[in-house]
Amino acid sequence: MTGLFRGLLQRLSLRHRLMLFLLGAVSLATMLQGFSAYRTALQEADEIFDYQMQQMALSMSGGQPGRPLSMPEELELIIQGWTAEGLQLFQPPGRAHLPQRAVLGFTNVVADGKAYRVLSVQSGGQVLQVAQELAVRQRLASRLAWRTVTPIAIVLPALMLVVGWVVSRSLAPVERVRRQLAARAAEDLSPVNAAGLPAEIQPMVQELNSLLGRVRQAFETQQHFVADAAHELRSPLTALKLQVQALQRAGDEAGRSLAQGRLAAGIERASHLVEQLLLLARQQAGAPTPRQAVALEPLCRQLIGDALPQAQAKELDLGLLRADPVTVQGEAAALAVLLRNLLDNAIKYTPAGGRIDLMLLQEGAQARLRIEDSGPGIAEGERERVLDRFYRGSEAQAQASGSGLGLAIVKSIAERHGAQLRLGRSEALGGLRVDLVFPA
Amino acid sequence: MRLLLVEDDQMIGEQLLDLLRAEGYAVDWVRDGELAETALQSQNYDLLLLDLGLPRLDGMSVLRRLRARKQRLPVLIATARDALEQRVAGLDAGADDYVLKPFELDELLARIRALLRRASGSAEPVYEHKGVSLNPATHEAMVEGRPVLLTGREWAVLEPLLARPGLVLSRQQLEEKLYSWKDEVSSNAVEVYIHGLRKKLGAGLIQNVRGLGYMVPKQ
Repeated sequence: MTGLFRGLLQRLSLRHRLMLFLLGAVSLATMLQGFSAYRTALQEADEIFDYQMQQMALSMSGGQPGRPLSMPEELELIIQGWTAEGLQLFQPPGRAHLPQRAVLGFTNVVADGKAYRVLSVQSGGQVLQVAQELAVRQRLASRLAWRTVTPIAIVLPALMLVVGWVVSRSLAPVERVRRQLAARAAEDLSPVNAAGLPAEIQPMVQELNSLLGRVRQAFETQQHFVADAAHELRSPLTALKLQVQALQRAGDEAGRSLAQGRLAAGIERASHLVEQLLLLARQQAGAPTPRQAVALEPLCRQLIGDALPQAQAKELDLGLLRADPVTVQGEAAALAVLLRNLLDNAIKYTPAGGRIDLMLLQEGAQARLRIEDSGPGIAEGERERVLDRFYRGSEAQAQASGSGLGLAIVKSIAERHGAQLRLGRSEALGGLRVDLVFPA
Repeated sequence: MRLLLVEDDQMIGEQLLDLLRAEGYAVDWVRDGELAETALQSQNYDLLLLDLGLPRLDGMSVLRRLRARKQRLPVLIATARDALEQRVAGLDAGADDYVLKPFELDELLARIRALLRRASGSAEPVYEHKGVSLNPATHEAMVEGRPVLLTGREWAVLEPLLARPGLVLSRQQLEEKLYSWKDEVSSNAVEVYIHGLRKKLGAGLIQNVRGLGYMVPKQ
């Protein structure tokens, strides 16, 4: 039952809820007011009428039998009396017959189904009874009670109207916001006009606007990303198309074998680009990084192990130069991707016979990961731009297989870990030096 | 016909180079705008196949400088930049045609043929003169309605001559149509091919203009 009521209440609008509660509260107060007015009036009527009955009895005692008595009609008093001999002195005209009992003082008596207040007095052998129907008193009391309640009852509908109007007026901006939101297209993420909103709702709309702003930004980032990705996919697709055409046109076995080799490389390149795109998309999706303690040294050892065959194929000397037992907070899988990209880059751009060094340094509370190579490095003017996705440095453009995403992925992962990424020139090896400084 | 291919993507460049050479064009391939500039100023090309996103010097700049030098060779832009403004800007900067990557090879070849044809002043898809006809699209050569088999090199020598009857082309100019930079050129190569062509097409078609070179007479 209460559950049903609560359910009903929750479905009601704010205005209806307010009006319902107000109606209930005012009605209850009015009822209490009426009841208490009735009680008070009845009590006072008792006192006054009892006094008047006493005065009446007093004035009657010793009076002449048979003589009609003048009394205020509205009091509706009934008077009867007897002599000591039982002779009736007064006969109430056409009134109820009260039992002739001579219990002195005030009593309440029921006769003919009506309740009476009876005062019996004895004086000089006479018994005098003054009686009054209790309903008279109750009528008076209820008349008084109604008189206090009526104005409220009259004002109540007006009050409801006023409350309804005020609430409607106050909520009109809310309705306006609702209409604005209902009418907008799915891609419209502009802020909602919060002007004129009630103070209680304004913060909510402000939060909504700030959320819309964040969604818009994420949306735009994503759109740029998709546009860039679509653009960047064109080159590998062009290459694939040409390579397929070449395969179809190949006249002899040697030509076919060359075309097949190129096509395989083209497919490899396209899949690498798609893989890197997915990696970057995932990194930029902005999911919070799970905070785990990750020991970098075993991670480096594992990834160097993975990259070793590649490095040896180019006769590169790849090694871990120094390994402090460094632990950072972050996500092991993402950090592995970061390291792999940095190692891949170093291996790709360092000429055969060169050298690649990794270092893990504990510097106070900070941890530093450093990768240096003896490759061509990156010109100072390009060091910022190579971190942009799809930007390929002038050295990188000499390579067919680059996606232009490796360093963008590294940057994205570094940012998510709160780590500083810095590119510089290696003093020891002359090539590129990549520094990643993890916060304490 | 000698083409300059400007393409920074290793895979696309290498494959296009082979495919265009297989079509009988002499092709030079450069991978940045500066090198394209150098090549355009030191060689005569019949067509420039230009990518826009280039290292060192942007393709649009290459195009503008080319037109500023009043070089008239047809330019076909092949790029991934697909926005309308970019296409309009490319054509307005002096390009003759614009293809979007990824393109179909057949379409690219057809557009190259169309541009070369228009540059020779002819709207006909087939070069025809004095009973000899060459169809660059199918590489079919006919003499008096009877097909003749030409080698790629013979074709490369004949096509520019037949495309503009009356125009004398020097031996060096014909060599340029035949070979890219990397090829070894033997000193009498053009004479050898002219000799072969005369045998197949009749001695009167290609005339030697002493001291100047070769021509296909107008009449």
